[in-house]
Amino acid sequence: MLRGYLFTVLGIAIGVAGLVALGAMSERIVRFIEGGDRFVLGQISVAGRGMGMGTGFTAGGLLPASAIRAIAAVPGVAGVQPQVMLPLNPSTSQFMTLTQELVLGFDLSVPMPNRHYRSLPVRAGRFLLEGDRRVAVLGAAFAASRGLGVGSRLTLEGESYEVVGVLDRMLTAPDRFVMVPIADARAQWVAKDALLRTVLASGAMALTAADLNTGAAVGWRDGEDPDAVALRIRERVPAVNVQLPSELSQLLQSSTAFFSALLAGIGVLAFVIGGLSLANTVAAAVFERIRDFGVKRALGASDLQLGREVLGEALAVTLVGGVAGIALALALGWVIDGYVAGSNQQLFHFSPRLLGGALAFSVLLGTAAAAYATARVVSVSPAEAIRRSS
Amino acid sequence: MLRAVGLVKSYRAPSGAPIRVLAGVDLSVKPGELVVVTGPSGSGKSTLLNVLGLLEDGDGGDVWFEDARVSALGRGAKSRARGGYVGFLFQSFLLLPSLTALENVLLAARYVGRAGPATRRRALDLMAEVGVADRQDHFPPQLSGGEQQRVAFCRAVLNDPPLLLADEPTGSLDDANGAVILAAIRGRARAGAAVVVVSHRPEAAVGAGMVYRLRDGALESP
Repeated sequence: MLRGYLFTVLGIAIGVAGLVALGAMSERIVRFIEGGDRFVLGQISVAGRGMGMGTGFTAGGLLPASAIRAIAAVPGVAGVQPQVMLPLNPSTSQFMTLTQELVLGFDLSVPMPNRHYRSLPVRAGRFLLEGDRRVAVLGAAFAASRGLGVGSRLTLEGESYEVVGVLDRMLTAPDRFVMVPIADARAQWVAKDALLRTVLASGAMALTAADLNTGAAVGWRDGEDPDAVALRIRERVPAVNVQLPSELSQLLQSSTAFFSALLAGIGVLAFVIGGLSLANTVAAAVFERIRDFGVKRALGASDLQLGREVLGEALAVTLVGGVAGIALALALGWVIDGYVAGSNQQLFHFSPRLLGGALAFSVLLGTAAAAYATARVVSVSPAEAIRRSS
Repeated sequence: MLRAVGLVKSYRAPSGAPIRVLAGVDLSVKPGELVVVTGPSGSGKSTLLNVLGLLEDGDGGDVWFEDARVSALGRGAKSRARGGYVGFLFQSFLLLPSLTALENVLLAARYVGRAGPATRRRALDLMAEVGVADRQDHFPPQLSGGEQQRVAFCRAVLNDPPLLLADEPTGSLDDANGAVILAAIRGRARAGAAVVVVSHRPEAAVGAGMVYRLRDGALESP
């Protein structure tokens, strides 16, 4: 049935490949923004007041143990997990970026308070356990960029860490994280920060290890409004920066507004370029067979018979071309992502909804284009159809 | 079998001026009769055949197949009438390049609901009669002009149509192949079909019951 349709199938495949590739880039950005949004809406993020090292989402200062205890005592709070978030490379820590590599230390004596990330998805090995020291769990992109896996060793601030786990690719910030027990993260912080070392050595401040936190993830009790709990913390605990989940979500949305606009543009481009290419290819394939239509009508074919025949062929051709286009886009994405993986990037995300949608879109559009072209072709007499081809 | 009364057909020149090609053509062809229409190139022979075969509408006049005024039918009914009554043979063969020779022949049965093993056997028999059975799996570009026209002939007569219309059927063939095709066409007339051939070649008129010349839009007996 598909004999003679090689170039049509190729044309459709190229159109669909463009559609899917652009759509996959758009999906990648969507997943990144959605993942961040989901994270910030799952917890209340608190930091000590001040400029600190400018790390993490809260960009705050030191959050001492006394503040942690005070937060835990606020009505509506379900749990407070002290955390230390440090830039892996301090020279890039001047600005909060969504793509920088971070070291994140968890206090594992406290359950993860984030309602949307009670645990992080581990692809290989295991997550951190209470009592662990000098072990690390790596984000997928971080591990891939350095060729690390479970059992590998990683040096951080002169100390050797055993990699005990690698996370699934999440297409958001944790892909670039190195997760360690909080005691190890505190040791790295001291090693990185000369000012902190000086303060600790001087004895000017009565600091213990438990005071060395850059922030805390705070959970709320069931039925509580997270923003109301955050406001309550802000009122009752002095010298802390409290981010309302909704405010942080809004901040994230506005800071990614450019990406949102970009992905909308990419989406529109994908539909217009891919759709036009596909519709044009299918319609041209029908128009160039105008002589065949003339001959078939001379042999007694009715408009309905021809319409059924063409739509059946268009369905088959767009289906084959669509599948080929998807395969082409997957191959393209695989090659390009392989190329940029070394710089810790992933440009494409081929979600099932994208692939299914692209296939359905191509089949529907191809069939519609074929129906339109057929209607045009059968509107001329058989003699005219035969004459036009000579 | 075939009757045409007062057929009129005009085309528009690029300047917009009407060019009258058929100016009231009357024609009657009985079953078993071979009628040949001659005339110089551009005289309207192909247009006459197209109107007779319902491939295009005339501007006036009527076409009758037996007792049915088929020129007044709607699009669907005209398609059915073409499939049921008419076999066409064209100068340029008009085989579908994506189909094999046998598939091209069988195409004639597809739209009239006659596809089946018996039709396939008949197609192979017809192809054997005109000497192209061994080319059944070849595609048109793999066939010579003579072979293509033989395949086209098999397609035209597969449904045993009571009317065969041939438009310059030997126009693209050498003398030997032309003779084979003309003999096959005469055979259809002997078998009882009404046959109209338009041709500018004199040998096409051999064995014809009536020969007309189309001049100034009208048929003249020589």
